[in-house]
Amino acid sequence: MHLVIIGNGAAGITAARTARELLPSARVTVISDEPGPAYARCLIPEVLAGDRDPRSISFVPPGFYREHRISLLSGRLVVSLDAVGRRLTLEDGETISYDRLLVATGASPVLPDWPGADLPGVFTLRTVAQAATAGEAARRCASAVVAGGGLVSLKAAWALKRCGVAEVTVVVKSPHLLVRQLDEQGAALVQRELSRAGIKFLFGLDLAAITGGAGGRRQVELEDGRTLPAGLVLVGKGVRPNVQLVRRAGGRVGQGITVNERLETTLPGVYAAGDCVEVQDLLTGAKTNSALWTLAVEQGRIAGCNMAGRPRRYSPPLTRLYAAQFGSVPFVSVGDVRGDGETAAFQKDRVYRKLCFREDRLVGFIMVGWVERAGIYTALVRRGRPLGRLKQKLLDGTVSAADLMVMK
Amino acid sequence: MKEVLVNAERCLGCRSCELACAVAHSDSKNLLSALGEEKKPLKRIFVHQARDKKIPLSCRHCEEAPCVDACITGAMHRTPEGVVTNVGGPAECTGCWMCVMVCPYGVIRSDKERRLAVKCDRACLDEVEEPECVRACPTGALVFAEVDDYSRDRRQRFLVCLARSMDTSSV
Repeated sequence: MHLVIIGNGAAGITAARTARELLPSARVTVISDEPGPAYARCLIPEVLAGDRDPRSISFVPPGFYREHRISLLSGRLVVSLDAVGRRLTLEDGETISYDRLLVATGASPVLPDWPGADLPGVFTLRTVAQAATAGEAARRCASAVVAGGGLVSLKAAWALKRCGVAEVTVVVKSPHLLVRQLDEQGAALVQRELSRAGIKFLFGLDLAAITGGAGGRRQVELEDGRTLPAGLVLVGKGVRPNVQLVRRAGGRVGQGITVNERLETTLPGVYAAGDCVEVQDLLTGAKTNSALWTLAVEQGRIAGCNMAGRPRRYSPPLTRLYAAQFGSVPFVSVGDVRGDGETAAFQKDRVYRKLCFREDRLVGFIMVGWVERAGIYTALVRRGRPLGRLKQKLLDGTVSAADLMVMK
Repeated sequence: MKEVLVNAERCLGCRSCELACAVAHSDSKNLLSALGEEKKPLKRIFVHQARDKKIPLSCRHCEEAPCVDACITGAMHRTPEGVVTNVGGPAECTGCWMCVMVCPYGVIRSDKERRLAVKCDRACLDEVEEPECVRACPTGALVFAEVDDYSRDRRQRFLVCLARSMDTSSV
């Protein structure tokens, strides 16, 4: 039995480990287009900042592949998948046969089609190699423009400041930061902290073009005609699932690779997990791309079990689970925080909390400045049961896991 | 693996477990000296009141722990002894609070200054391999035992089993 896994990230490595434990006799091969062992992708802003070197964000202990008898083919790109012949072709022409395959190809950053988006000095932040290159460039820059107001963009802006870039401007199309995670009030607290670090913000507009390549003075043109000097441009406009391999092989694709509850694609013997797949949101039922580290780990484990012949079902997940800290301001955002139903918000100084309800159920919440016991709220969102008397405790902020245990 | 089992019927809410836990995680490991420490130690067990019950809760060291799945650095891991901890592992905790966000028991704290998630680490086991919280419990509400050693009936008296049903139905 040869189990082949394309992708060496959260889903790929978890699947490989799981399958190895369940099937000691199987051959397990992991193929990755990136060099080196698995690393913690979420930590690459720290590599950009120069706070860590690429080796220090390894996600597996040294010797992991040898000890688990996993053959790692790193720096190798899979260019085609023959689902009938159960065979992969690599860029260098080598072919690899498999019995069961996991596609964990992740996602790629979106690069808008601005004129000049392909100039040197324009970066996205997805791989540790990109982070290291952008970090080197940043140390020679006096100015940088970050496009986008999401988590990756803000982590990048923070890192660029730590690199010593004097002028860091974040250009945000939305009316406030972190629109996916926070509301205006919560975002203001995060923005305040970032501003204190010297980061500047422009809201309500986008980049229009980037001009001046190597040698010339690089500038960013904004939609309203203004220009900003930009020794470096960092684009954080989200990611797109890597579905090409499966699509070209004839597999179905929606918001990501279509999978059933066993995480099988529509191709026989081919599973998929992680940022490349489509999932159904537990709360809204909407189909969306899976783009969270924690979901990738869960899916990797379940795919690994199924590939090893131990059937396990994957149930619709919460697709919005965010936690981070900027400066001294931590925040957590879970579930549906659009707040189109009943909401309750509390603010005292630099601590903000918002609860979003629908029909006596907690469907989402935001915590900024203080995140203790957030997991209990997450558990309540996940459960989706009527709150009854518990609601008052939620409003008072006194809910504990003990309340959930006695809750019928 | 042994677990801290909770018999809520016996808990008086005296918080001896909380105190013992904090002292065990102080620099001096001594109550009086701990009072003088610059950074006060943090307890990792919490006595809650729910309806008429008092329930001490600490990390359950879940088998498929959501905090391990959510950890973006690889710091949160399970030791060969079965202890779920973010210290002494293959990577360093950076205080991103993903674990705090997903722990359904709410027993992982966030030390914002040190950027460190703080939880039960079983670093407190004494010479007879008993955790300090259990040792300090004067009423027997906390027991450190192999769950499988308990008959089904007896197990049901322990709220930890309720917790487990919560765990599997919702996580």
